[in-house]
Amino acid sequence: MKLTKAYAVVLATTLIVSACAVPQPAPAPQAAAPTPTPVGQEENIAKEVVAGDIKPPVVAQPCEDNCPFKGQTVTVIVNTAGEKGPISGPIYEVREEFEKATGAKLNIVEVPFAEHFPKLLTDLTSGTGQYDASIAGAWWLGDLVGGDYILSYDQWYGDPRFPAWDFEDVLAGPRSLLTYGGKKYMVANDHDGQVMYYRRDLIEDPGHRAAFKEKYGYDLKVPSTWKEFRDVAEYFNGKDLNGDGKPDNGLTMHLKVGGQGMFHFMSFAAPFVIGSENQNLFWFDPETMKPLMDSPGHLRAMETLVDLVQFGPEAMMGWSLGEAWDHFLRGEAALTFTWGDLGALAQQEGSKVKGKTGAAMLPGTNEYYSIPKGQWIKTDSVNRVGNTTGGSWAGVISKFSKAPEATYYLLALMASKPKSLIYAARGWDGVDPGRTSHFLPPDGTAKLEDYLAAGWAEADIKDYTKAYFDNFNAPLQFPYLRIPGTFEYWTALDIHLSEAVTKQKSPEEALKATVADFEAITDRLGREKQKQIYVESLGLKK
Amino acid sequence: MNRVLSQFVLSKHANRGFRLSKHIFIIPAIIWILAFSIFPLLYALHTSLHSFRFGRINEFVGLYNFVRLFTDANLHSGLRITLIFVAISVSVQMILGFGLAVLLNREILGKNLLRAIMILPLFATPVAIGYLSITIFYEQNGPVNSILRAFGGGNTPWLSNPFWALVAVILVDIWQWTPFVFLVSLAALQTLPDDLYEAAKVDGASGWSMFRYITLPLMTPILTLILLLRLVESFKVFDIPTSLTLGGPGRATEVYSLFTYRTAMRFFDHGYAAAQGFLLLIIVSFIIITLYRRIIKVYE
Repeated sequence: MKLTKAYAVVLATTLIVSACAVPQPAPAPQAAAPTPTPVGQEENIAKEVVAGDIKPPVVAQPCEDNCPFKGQTVTVIVNTAGEKGPISGPIYEVREEFEKATGAKLNIVEVPFAEHFPKLLTDLTSGTGQYDASIAGAWWLGDLVGGDYILSYDQWYGDPRFPAWDFEDVLAGPRSLLTYGGKKYMVANDHDGQVMYYRRDLIEDPGHRAAFKEKYGYDLKVPSTWKEFRDVAEYFNGKDLNGDGKPDNGLTMHLKVGGQGMFHFMSFAAPFVIGSENQNLFWFDPETMKPLMDSPGHLRAMETLVDLVQFGPEAMMGWSLGEAWDHFLRGEAALTFTWGDLGALAQQEGSKVKGKTGAAMLPGTNEYYSIPKGQWIKTDSVNRVGNTTGGSWAGVISKFSKAPEATYYLLALMASKPKSLIYAARGWDGVDPGRTSHFLPPDGTAKLEDYLAAGWAEADIKDYTKAYFDNFNAPLQFPYLRIPGTFEYWTALDIHLSEAVTKQKSPEEALKATVADFEAITDRLGREKQKQIYVESLGLKK
Repeated sequence: MNRVLSQFVLSKHANRGFRLSKHIFIIPAIIWILAFSIFPLLYALHTSLHSFRFGRINEFVGLYNFVRLFTDANLHSGLRITLIFVAISVSVQMILGFGLAVLLNREILGKNLLRAIMILPLFATPVAIGYLSITIFYEQNGPVNSILRAFGGGNTPWLSNPFWALVAVILVDIWQWTPFVFLVSLAALQTLPDDLYEAAKVDGASGWSMFRYITLPLMTPILTLILLLRLVESFKVFDIPTSLTLGGPGRATEVYSLFTYRTAMRFFDHGYAAAQGFLLLIIVSFIIITLYRRIIKVYE
């Protein structure tokens, strides 16, 4: 009996201790990373072109006997995507050139998206300095600068010892993400923003045009307002759009929790709230740090987005980027709005929409709710707001780096104009366009031939670059949130958006819940400190 | 006299040596417990009493993180979902696993093959199963919906509907862990003495009577133990909901451990995450103690 009892005690202790065990780390959830890593139905997704079809030119010459960083090692941490994958691919590609030009060694550490920021922050908080650079998401800057963990490269920019790149070449929208508090921190690389994609062949089809006009009383055209977007989505929903004899959808979105649906809401809601008389107030009141997410403008945006969901497949409430993009690439949706990756993927082998994919700046509204004035304001022309929604993955330099100059050399080399142009043109590397040198005349200085050589259909690339130029150059820009805890705020929005689109909560309840979560996060992180950083991040500091 | 004295001294030395060696031998166990149980617990307690900012300890907040446990609606939602998950999943696993074990504990054709197939899911990695299940439950062309359609069923919104998403997570967990119940139950069934059954047969007992009055009572201790193990594991469930639904839609499948993981590793609110860990510890300890008493009662 004693033995039995003793055994039971040991068993109970073991179980209690095992119950305290930390859960295993998460696998790579399809979280906030606008880079194309299709999940689930990979065999069905348009295949990427073979990496290396076109290669960027060599910019840095071998250093021979006079190597500036000989014996140093630069370690870069980047989201897992492999040697031919988005964002990480160009780093592998440039490694040999960098090592020959500097004498330094380049280590590349790939970690799943979900582990990247925790690993980086752990390294920084402990001061280990394991990583010299991170190819970081722009929303991390609130934590990284706020915690005084990264170095400004102001001291090296323009120094002839480093490869030249032009900060001013980056359009105003994405350029604003490279700095924080007036200092330069991120070295330009990727330029994220959401634009609308539409099926050009469907919009231009005479049969559809006549039927649409009969039903809605105006010409079928590229939607310029969200109301028109809804009409076009409604019209095409249920029709066969790719000739397979099956009904298709008006639109596609990615609305899975952790599937970056909150970015959809941000881009979508911007023209309901932002306007000429309210260019900054979207997230918080800078005086009190009270959330503004339940304003009448936000509410109308949420109601409109929830209404739109009926024109997409029900399954998209459980979709991440890969599935949503795949739906469009198969020709099964007429409209979507997402990042530049989709435009590039549409050109690649397996896509059914190459040459049919139009792109335009996101639609707008005819009135917006001005939070400062507390009233709806009608606009003479369509109120359209540009956005830099997404990660805009770019290099930052750790304060604990033992080789900060060599690290900057690497990032500057990748940012150099000849390389950046190729990165933006070929698509597979996840680097989206955002510089004057990426855009076609008259907006920029890029050559159409470069894009055609990379496999683009002429009509598609013309629409695509125009859409991104208009988006990044728009006078009104969506205020990007870059304060400590940004990801936590966005996760709350993501979850409550999911609750709204799956009818677990009404749009109003979802926004109220978002506000409650925002308040709790702000209180925990310190209202006064958050307010100070928020004001600074908006450039409102006097 | 000298001899007696020397024997006394020797035995005294021997006793002292024995006592000393006894202490030396338990030192590794003490170190192990201190390093891997006591220290982490104390460190977690220390963590739970602080707030964090930028991944570093910010300030001492006393019991604030524990107070939050009572006011956080999202945590309560996670706890409620976990309780539903545990109740359904473990019940079905116990009934199904034990039932199959009883079924396959007899001479039937292909018994060994069936047993081998039955336990295969047990050896798969839960995360991999979670990701695989995204494909299996894919709503448009996935195999489950294709089969359901072939039998005249509708398109079930497995991953986009809050109710069905929880059902999907539970089904995957049942699929993976029923074999564990099966395996242990079968092993225990095979140790039951044949003479009891033979005697019952001689007395004209029916199959049901033998199950009711012999198998079930004899199996109760081991079934209680299996239940204990499954309850503890199920309360910590993390991999399958994380890889399959990421807790969505909304918070429909956000189980307790996923909520804690997000708190610690995504929001860096380590203090609150530690407090959540203690709450889970209390809940699981309560279950263990309750069932432990039950085990003791059975043995007595």
